[in-house]
Amino acid sequence: MRVPWIAATFFLARSALAVFADEAWNVDYHYALLGLPKQSTSFFHQPNPSSRASLIYTLSEEGVLGAVNPRDGSVVWRQLLLSEALAYNVSFLRAGEGQDTVISGIGSQVAAWSAADGRQAWILDTAGPLQDVEILELSDGRETAGAKDAIALSGGEHPAVVRIDGTSGAIKWQYQWDGVDQPYQVSASTTEVFAILLHKTLLGYVKLKVVSLDPVTGRKTDEHVVSSENELASAETIVSVGANSASPIVAWTNSAHSVLKVNILGTKEISSFNIEAHDSHAVERVEIHAPYHTNSLSHFLVHYETATSHWADVFHIDLKNSKIEKAYSLPKMTGKGAFSTGTSDANVFFTRVTRDQVMTVSSASHGVLGRWAVAGFGVAAGPGESVEPVHAVSEVSIKGTSVSAVRSAVLLSTGDWVLLRDGSPVWNRPEVLASTVSATFAIPAEVQEFVQQLEAEAHGNPISAYIHRVTRHLQDLQKLPAIMASLPQRIVQGFLGTSADGGIASDSFGFHQIIACATRDGRLVALDAGNPDKVLWNQQVADLQLGQTWQPSVSSPEGGIIEINSKASAGVRYNASTGEQLFSILPIDETAGEVALPVKYAIHKGELDATVDTKMAWHFTPMSGERIVSLVPRPVNDPVASIGKVLGDRRVLYKYLDPNLALLVTANDVTKAATFYVLNTISGAILYSNVHSGVDLGSPISSMLSENWFAYSFTAEASANSPKGHQLVAGELFESLVANDRGPLSASANYSSMQTGTEPFTLAQTYQIPEPISHMAVTRTRQGITSRQLLAVLADSSAIVGIPYGVIDPRRPVSRDPTKDEQMEGLVRYSPVLDFDPKWYLNHQREIVGIKDVVTSPALLESTSLVFAYGLDVFGTRLSPSFSFDVLGKDFNKFQMLATVAALAVATFVVAPLVARKQVNARWQFA
Amino acid sequence: MTTTQLTTSAPQWLHDMTSPSTAVIQQKSKTPILDPPGFTALQTKQQKSKTPAPVRKQPTPEEMDTLKLKKAWELALGPAKQLPMNAIGMYMTGNSLQIFSIMMVFMLFKGPIGAMFSIQQTFSRLETETNRGQMLLVKAAFVGCNLLALALGIWKVNGMGLLPTTRSDWLAWETARDPLERAYFVPS
Repeated sequence: MRVPWIAATFFLARSALAVFADEAWNVDYHYALLGLPKQSTSFFHQPNPSSRASLIYTLSEEGVLGAVNPRDGSVVWRQLLLSEALAYNVSFLRAGEGQDTVISGIGSQVAAWSAADGRQAWILDTAGPLQDVEILELSDGRETAGAKDAIALSGGEHPAVVRIDGTSGAIKWQYQWDGVDQPYQVSASTTEVFAILLHKTLLGYVKLKVVSLDPVTGRKTDEHVVSSENELASAETIVSVGANSASPIVAWTNSAHSVLKVNILGTKEISSFNIEAHDSHAVERVEIHAPYHTNSLSHFLVHYETATSHWADVFHIDLKNSKIEKAYSLPKMTGKGAFSTGTSDANVFFTRVTRDQVMTVSSASHGVLGRWAVAGFGVAAGPGESVEPVHAVSEVSIKGTSVSAVRSAVLLSTGDWVLLRDGSPVWNRPEVLASTVSATFAIPAEVQEFVQQLEAEAHGNPISAYIHRVTRHLQDLQKLPAIMASLPQRIVQGFLGTSADGGIASDSFGFHQIIACATRDGRLVALDAGNPDKVLWNQQVADLQLGQTWQPSVSSPEGGIIEINSKASAGVRYNASTGEQLFSILPIDETAGEVALPVKYAIHKGELDATVDTKMAWHFTPMSGERIVSLVPRPVNDPVASIGKVLGDRRVLYKYLDPNLALLVTANDVTKAATFYVLNTISGAILYSNVHSGVDLGSPISSMLSENWFAYSFTAEASANSPKGHQLVAGELFESLVANDRGPLSASANYSSMQTGTEPFTLAQTYQIPEPISHMAVTRTRQGITSRQLLAVLADSSAIVGIPYGVIDPRRPVSRDPTKDEQMEGLVRYSPVLDFDPKWYLNHQREIVGIKDVVTSPALLESTSLVFAYGLDVFGTRLSPSFSFDVLGKDFNKFQMLATVAALAVATFVVAPLVARKQVNARWQFA
Repeated sequence: MTTTQLTTSAPQWLHDMTSPSTAVIQQKSKTPILDPPGFTALQTKQQKSKTPAPVRKQPTPEEMDTLKLKKAWELALGPAKQLPMNAIGMYMTGNSLQIFSIMMVFMLFKGPIGAMFSIQQTFSRLETETNRGQMLLVKAAFVGCNLLALALGIWKVNGMGLLPTTRSDWLAWETARDPLERAYFVPS
């Protein structure tokens, strides 16, 4: 019995020893993100009704449901409800008062989750896409003791209102209607359920139709139209349908935002209020904030916003005679503001967050209960940009009659989610990074200058290089006072081992590269790879209208510069260190200078077209029924140190190195076949191709090409001779498979793929891997001397593994042991099953969710490659595939070394007179 | 006065020393000093040394030359005699690059090269005007033997993989071919 335990302990201990503890949480960084939170799906809620500690829940724009600890901003739990963000982005999140579950609705799925740990309680698929989800806050005798029931409104062909049992997720009743009325929202008072439908009139206008339902049976009790004929041009001007407040309302404005109309659901009267224009700007947005609790006071706040300012009115609903009265106004303030609702028993409090203050008022009167100045939100913004609050949720703690503290989770215009305790920021989460669509590394300008100087010294003639170096050092002397001033601190830090790697400017290892991320909402965010705790700068670079998308590609054509290319704008450049836009530099096609006429190829209408100077060069059409899945060109900057592989007997196998290679993947959906081509992109010739039949095209097919080798992975369906499994194929291209043979072109200095078409000799090997790889990348180092690692994103286990190239080397001997020469090369016997070694996991024990792409960049040190993965989460690390052969690790103890030297020096001085006396005595004294 | 007193009471040896009897001296020794007690004069040795030792005949210059030549050949073939031992030593140290084998290889090179540089000094004592012609042959043999030792060292260095004899040793000087065209992917 005890033996397995001992064995398990032994293996666990060994794997634990495999990770260098000093590097694991030091060189890597991880932001567990949720995505931009939405106002309607974010709230404070107590996961345990008996305790007052609350968490912030949100269902973000990325379709991620999560709970955040308001104390430190850490994610308590999260669930990925969508793998791809929906275009229309309709999602709901509700929590019943005093409930330990939260109910989410997204797509056509309603699900209940344990509020404390995020475990799923139940899930229900409705017939059509969800239009609304609410929690039924009533006690009608049929209520079960535990969770409260939910009502869901689904659209589609058969729209329906469904009451769902809160404990089991079973449908209690369903109300369906015929006709063309579109479902809009659902709302519930303590006695009735209201379904608000949109009725299209003949003239194209929209009418609001309210259907009252009996909450117990689901039968229709009443139906009436509340809005008049020509009031609503579209559903967009409907401001809000208050849910679950003591008296739910529906409010709308006219298209000019000049009149606000409010109807208390269940009644037929409409109260109309004029929206006063406070300045010349027109009102752009009207929002209603109302408490979500049935036992709260039935007060609500209307928030008006123009381009430059905002203000709000507070209204009271008289429940007895169903009248709505304006109670008071909150004055106009410039800039944007966010309002949020907090409740304490029946009292309702409105918290207003503006760019410079946080203010809390009671809904009953306009007296300010608390006002705190905000010195700053503590987030980085672009030059000249003012940070505005977009929306907020808050929790008010009341002591007696005054507000003792307010916690507000505010989404800022920079995409940061900040928690303000009173007026001071406690934490911020850069949620904007969750929507990163393109990212790149950029070397800071200072480091680039240093690199250029070093290169000038390396390539010039010795005398001028020496003079250059001396002058450079003389110039460096100017920095001496600053260095002297910081010297004691650096020495102390060096002793204690607490030294950071220094700033961006003094980065001699190249670890402090700037990572620029372009996000879906048109922002450009820069991080420092060596100090990733804070955002360097963050600014809006594209002004996108609602519903507009852009597909930017970020690159760094030279040090210190970030360039954005998109369909709208080609080659807009920014200073990598500050984020300032560079106007003076015209986008120059840097490819033009090198080669007379570059071939440019692109995927166009499902085919691959290459052009030379607008003339067609070649054309690749997939076979009939096939579609192009992906195309991976060899990276433009892909240095290779050695043009051959040295064999064990010191002969050379020459690599087929051609910068103009691309790996093309096509798939046939009918025959379930995937074809992989290695193309010469000058001539369009197929250098290698392989067809795999029985491929599961629903799972990801990832591919990668670098140097002279490629790798791809796919999932194979079960067939007669092979089981279903995930396969990784690695292939390597050689000039010749005969050692010491450089192929037909021999040692000629240059060649043209148009005139001499040489074909490589390809070795390929297939490995069975335990799970699918959703994306592949490869490490890159400065000169290409360091061996490579294949970086594979494992979506199923939320991890990234770095597979050493030696493991997937296609030259591993098959069904025999390696010879002595092969052993010297490091080749081991081929085994078809490739298990991912726990040591290869770059993320260690973190969960890296939703990674879409991995970018790599060489550091200035040859041994090191920087890795940055983005998607939903953001993860970055430094890798040394051949170990850190050119830098001392953190395990090197400077203090110990210096102490040893000092101890030896002291010992020498102490012992020297003793030894001298002994030697003299030895001559003069007899034993 | 004191002597008369001594004669009466002092022992015989003191008496003999202070006033040696002339009769005894004349009988036993030429020196006036009496032999110490228990000393026996070497009568027999004096008798043997009386027979004269055979006079060593000086070698002729020809004989000298032959002798020197013989000695020179011995010197010249010395390194060759060490070869088998060195070879075994080299074989035993293996081909791995370790401090021990590297030092042995270094000694292997240092010995013969040093010997060849000091060849004149080595044979200068044995060289005469008359055997100069023959000494050339000897020196050639000496150089040959040392070259053999060097060859052993080179064989060893080659075994250790330190000689740039294979293609991979010159790989760093081979450059990749430059393509005349470049192709760029334009993401659409």
